[in-house]
Amino acid sequence: MLRMQDISKIYRTDLIETHALRELSLEVKAGEFVSVSGPSGSGKSTFLNIAGLLETFDTGLYELDGREVSGLSDDARSRIRNEKIGFIFQGFNLIPDLDLFDNIDVPLRYRRMKADERRKRIESALELVGLASRTKHLPSQLSGGQQQRVAIARAIAGDPALILADEPTGNLDSLMARQIMDLLEKINAMGTTIVLVTHDPELARRAQRNIHIVDGVVIDSPPYQSRFTQFPPRTTAGAAAE
Amino acid sequence: MKTARTQVNLMNVPIRPLFSSLRRNPTGAVLVALQVAITLAVMINAAWIVAQRLEKLERPTGIDTRDTFEIGIVGSSRKFNVAQAESEDLAYLRGLPGVAAATVVNGILLTENGGDTDLSRDPGTNGPVVGANFLTVDDQALNTLDVPLIAGRNFRADEIRPLTKGKQTPPSEVIVTQSLARTLFPHGSALGRIIYNGDSNPLTVIGITRDFMGPQVGAPAYNTVLLPTMPGQAGLYALLVRTRPGMRDTVMREAKQHIGTAHRFGITGFSTPLAKAERQMHAGDRNTAILLTTVTALMLAVCCLGVFGLTTFNVGSRRRQIGTRRALGASKRDIVAHFMMEGALILSGGAFLGSILALVVGNWLTVHYALPRLDLVYLLGGVLALWIVGLLAAWQPARRAADVPPSVATRTV
Amino acid sequence: MLGYYIQLALRSFRRTPGLTALMAGAIAFGIAACIVTLTVYHTMSGNPIWWKNNSLYAVTMDSWDPNQSYDAAHPKLAPDMLTYRDATYLYGSNIPERKMLLSYLVGVLSGTPGLTRPVPVNTQATTADFFRMFDVPFEYGGPWSAAADRGPEPVIVLSRRENGKLFGGADSVGRTILWNRLRFRVVGVLDHWNPQPRFYDLTPAGGGSFAKSAAAFVPFEWGPTLRIWPSGTMSCWGPQTIDTYQKLLGSDCVWITMWVQLRTSAERARFLDFMNAYWAEQRAAGRFGRPRNNHLWQVSQWLRIHHVVTNDSRLLLRLAFAFLAVCLINTVGVLLAKFLRGASLMGIRRALGASRRQIFEQHLVEVALLSLAGSALGLALGALGLRGVHAMYAHSGNAYGAVAHFDPLGVLWALALAALSTVLAGLYPAWRIGRVSPVVYLKSQ
Ligand SMILES: Nc1ncnc2c1ncn2[C@@H]1O[C@H](COP(=O)(O)OP(=O)(O)OP(=O)(O)O)[C@@H](O)[C@H]1O
Ligand SMILES: [Mg+2]
Repeated sequence: MLRMQDISKIYRTDLIETHALRELSLEVKAGEFVSVSGPSGSGKSTFLNIAGLLETFDTGLYELDGREVSGLSDDARSRIRNEKIGFIFQGFNLIPDLDLFDNIDVPLRYRRMKADERRKRIESALELVGLASRTKHLPSQLSGGQQQRVAIARAIAGDPALILADEPTGNLDSLMARQIMDLLEKINAMGTTIVLVTHDPELARRAQRNIHIVDGVVIDSPPYQSRFTQFPPRTTAGAAAE
Repeated sequence: MKTARTQVNLMNVPIRPLFSSLRRNPTGAVLVALQVAITLAVMINAAWIVAQRLEKLERPTGIDTRDTFEIGIVGSSRKFNVAQAESEDLAYLRGLPGVAAATVVNGILLTENGGDTDLSRDPGTNGPVVGANFLTVDDQALNTLDVPLIAGRNFRADEIRPLTKGKQTPPSEVIVTQSLARTLFPHGSALGRIIYNGDSNPLTVIGITRDFMGPQVGAPAYNTVLLPTMPGQAGLYALLVRTRPGMRDTVMREAKQHIGTAHRFGITGFSTPLAKAERQMHAGDRNTAILLTTVTALMLAVCCLGVFGLTTFNVGSRRRQIGTRRALGASKRDIVAHFMMEGALILSGGAFLGSILALVVGNWLTVHYALPRLDLVYLLGGVLALWIVGLLAAWQPARRAADVPPSVATRTV
Repeated sequence: MLGYYIQLALRSFRRTPGLTALMAGAIAFGIAACIVTLTVYHTMSGNPIWWKNNSLYAVTMDSWDPNQSYDAAHPKLAPDMLTYRDATYLYGSNIPERKMLLSYLVGVLSGTPGLTRPVPVNTQATTADFFRMFDVPFEYGGPWSAAADRGPEPVIVLSRRENGKLFGGADSVGRTILWNRLRFRVVGVLDHWNPQPRFYDLTPAGGGSFAKSAAAFVPFEWGPTLRIWPSGTMSCWGPQTIDTYQKLLGSDCVWITMWVQLRTSAERARFLDFMNAYWAEQRAAGRFGRPRNNHLWQVSQWLRIHHVVTNDSRLLLRLAFAFLAVCLINTVGVLLAKFLRGASLMGIRRALGASRRQIFEQHLVEVALLSLAGSALGLALGALGLRGVHAMYAHSGNAYGAVAHFDPLGVLWALALAALSTVLAGLYPAWRIGRVSPVVYLKSQ
C-alpha cells in the first residue's frame, strides 16, 4: 500500500533545524492494520502527515499504492488525498457550523459526486458508526466519542484505500477508546488499510503490527514481536486477556 | 475618573509583545494603517478647502439683498420707446408706498449678467489696466443699493446723460468703489483724479463708495465703476428696487404685473430678488463644501469601521490567549489597555504616513488648483481628531475582550 | 461545484452577519460615492455628439485687440465667436459639407390660443444646417429649407416644451404665430433634445455650458433684417462706441458662433486654407493686428479648451476614488481577517482532499457574492445620493442641476469599476487562504 525509503524531513526555523525524520524507511501492505508508537516528539505525526500527503519531505522515495508521489502537483496530491486517503485526528476536526450530514459531505463534494450518490454514502457511513439518526445535529451537540465516530464516518464515506489516524482516542476515555478501536477493526476487516498512531499500548497491541519510531527513525518492526520487548509488564497481562 | 485609571494601565502595557503580535500578522494592521493614512490626507485637505470656501461664502455683498429685487424689461418691437418707458416705470415705482428707492441699471447684480470694462490711469490702451464691473445708472443708484459714500459726492440729477435716438453724450464723471479706487491709485486719494476706459474720454472720479459686489462678468467682485448714463441703448434695461423691510415679494408681484402691461411695445423679462441671486452665486462653493464634507465624513466612518473590524477580529481570534492571560492574573483593565495600545500603535503609524501624504496632496493642490498652502494647524488638528476617533472605534471591541472569561483557556473546542 | 461554493458563502455570511454587513456597507458606500461623482463628471465632460467628433468643427479666428488677448487667462486662444463680417464671409464658402451660424435674439411670442399675453422666449437665430449637423430630432415637421435662410422666410421651429405651452403639444406644423409681432409659420417641432453639456454654444450669456437649448429657432438673417440687437454674449474692443445696429455689423465685436461639418481631412485642410487666405487679405487691408490664429476645433477639443469640467467636479472625482480606495482596503482587510479566522477549517478541507484551487475558488465566490450585494446596495445609495445632489443644486437654482441626472452610462461605468475592484480586492485574501498549509492548523486545535 505505502512504501517509504530513506525519507528525511527537516523543519527549519530561524534558529534551529529539527530533524523530524531521519532516513526513515518502512512499508505497509494493503489491508494491514498497523499501529505507530514512539515517544513524544519522535516524528509520528510528521510521518503520518507525509504519508497522507499533507506535507512534503526533503529526501527519499515514497510510493503510495504503487505510485511515486514526490513530484506530484498540489492538485494531484489533493485528488489522491480525496480519493484514496481518509484522515482521523485526535481533535476530531469537524467543521463546527456544518451539521453531521454536511460534515461528511465535504470530501464527497470535492469529488464532484452526484447528490443521490453522496446521500447514499453519507447515510451508510453514519449507519456504520451508529449515528444514523442524528444527521441534523451540529458537532457541538455531540459527545467527544460521537464526534470522533462522525470523523470516522467522514473518513470512510469516500471509500478510501488507506485510513490514517493520529491518536484518535487521545481525547477519549478508555471505554470510548475501545469502541473506536472496534470500529476501526471492523473497517479494516472490510479491506481498508489502517495506520494508527497511538500512545496507548493496549490499543497498539490490537493492531496486526506495530512500528516504533524514536528520534525520526524506525527502531524495528518485526511483526508481532516488538510489543513484548517494548512494553513487557503490561503485554503479558494484555496477552493473557487475549 | 475612569480615564485616569486607564492611563495608568496603558503605561503598564508591555510594548514588546504588542510588536511581536503585530509582526506575526502584519497584513491586517498594515491595511488599517493605510486606510488611516489616506483618510487623514483627504480629511486634512478637505477641511482646508472647505475653510477656504466658507471664507468666500462669508464675503459680504455689501448690498441690502433682502429687500432688493430687479425686473428686466425688453422691447418687443423697434418701436419701443425705452427712454419714455424708463421714466414711466421709475415714476410708478417711486410712487408705490412699499418702495424705499428705485433706479435703472444695465445688468443684474450678482448674476454674471452685466458689463465689464478695463480702466486705466492713462489714455490709450498701452498702460496697465484694471478690470471693473460697470453700471450705467441714474442719481438714485447709491440710495437704492443702500451703499454709503466714503468720500466725494453722488451724481447730480443734471449730470445723468439721457437716452437719445442717436449718439449718447459720453459721461465725464464716475463713482468708483473703494477697492477699485485703491487698485487704480494705491498711493493717495482717488478723488478728483482722471481715469480712462479704453477710449480717450477722460472720467473724473467724483465719489468713492464702500465696497459692494457688481454683476461680476469678468472683473474682481468689488471693482465697480458707476457711470451717470441712462441704460437701454440696446432696447432692454433693468429696474433695481429696494422696498421697505418685508415688502419685497408683494411689491415685486405688483410691479411685475403693472409694468408687464404698461408699455405698448415692451414686456417684462425676468424678475429676481437679489437674495436669490446671492444664493445662486454661492451655490457652487456651498455645494462643493457640502459634498466634500459628506464624502469625507463617510470616509472617516469607513476608516473607523476598519479599526473597529480589526480590533474585533483580533479579540475574536485571541480569545484563548486572552483567557489564558486572565487566568494568569491580568485584570480586565489590563486587557482593555492591551487592545487600546495596539490600536494606538496602528493609528500612530497610519497618522505618520497620512501626514506625509497630506503634505504631498496639499502641495499638489497648491500647484494645480491654486489653493493656498496648507496651514499646519489643520495637519495637527486632523491627526489629533483621527487619533481620538480611531481610539473610540477600538474601545468597544476592547471592552468586549475584557469580558472573555478566564475559563476559555481550559476549554478544548 | 459553483452551487456548493454559493451555499458555503451564504453559510459564512450567516455565521458572521455583522462583519458581512460591514463589508457590504463599505463597498456600497464606495460605489455610491463613485456613482454620484462619476455621473456628474461624465455628464460634464461627456461629448454628447461623439459620433461626429471627427467631422464637426467650431471655427475661430483672432480678430481681437492687437494689444491684448481675448482671454487674459488663455492668451493663446482666439475669441470663441466671430464678427458679423468674418462670419458671413466664411459662411459663404462652399467647401464644408454643412455650415451654420448661431446667435440669440429675444423673441416675443404671441397670437396663439395658448397665450393670454405675449411672452419673451430665448430664440436661437441660426441656419438650416444646424438641425442636420447636430442630429437634432424632430417630433413634427423638420428644418426649414436653405432658401428660407437666404430670404429670410418667416419660418420658425419650436422646442417640444414651447410647443406644449403654445399648442398643447399638438402637431403645429403649418400654424402661424407672431414672433416679435410678425407672422411666422411653424415648420418643425423638436423632440426631446437637451444635450449636456450644450457643446455647440458654451457662452455665458446663452446660459453657460449646461443651459437648456433654445425655445425657438428662426433663420439667422432675421436679426440683421429686423435689426434686433443680439441678446447672447457679445464682446467688443476698440475706441468706438457701438450704438447703432449698422455700426455693430461693421464692428470688430464678436457675437456669432460658427460650426462647419467637414468630411475628410483634405476638406478640413482646404477650409483652413480658405480661412488663411481671407485672413491674409484682411490683414493687408489693415485688420487683424494679432498673429494668425485660425482654428478648427473638434467637439472634444472645444469642450476641453472651454473648461467645461470644473475644477470642483474634477476634485470631487479624485475624492471619490480616494474614498473607493479606502473602502477597498477596508474590504481587503476584513476579508483577510475573516478568511484567516476560518483557516483551521480550510486545513480540514485540505486534508479531506480540497485542492488549493478549490479553496481559492470557494473564497472568490464568497467575494463575488459580497461584491454583488454591495453593488446592489451601492446602486440604491447612489440613486439616493444623486437625488440629494440634484435637490441641492436645484435648490440653489443652479444650472448644474441638469447634470445630476441618473445617467445610465455613468452608473454602468461606476458599477463595473466597483464590482471589478472589489473582486480584485478579494483576490489577495482568497489567494492567501489558498496558500495556507493544512497541517499547521490541524495540529494546534
Ligand atoms: N512545523 C514545525 N516546525 C518546526 N518543528 C516541527 C514542526 N512540526 C514538528 N516539528 C518538530 O518535529 C519533531 C517531530 O514532531 P511530531 O509532531 O512528528 O512528533 P510526534 O511524534 O507526533 O509527537 P507527539 O507524540 O507528542 O504528538 C518534533 O521535535 C517537533 O518539535
Ligand atoms: Mg503527534
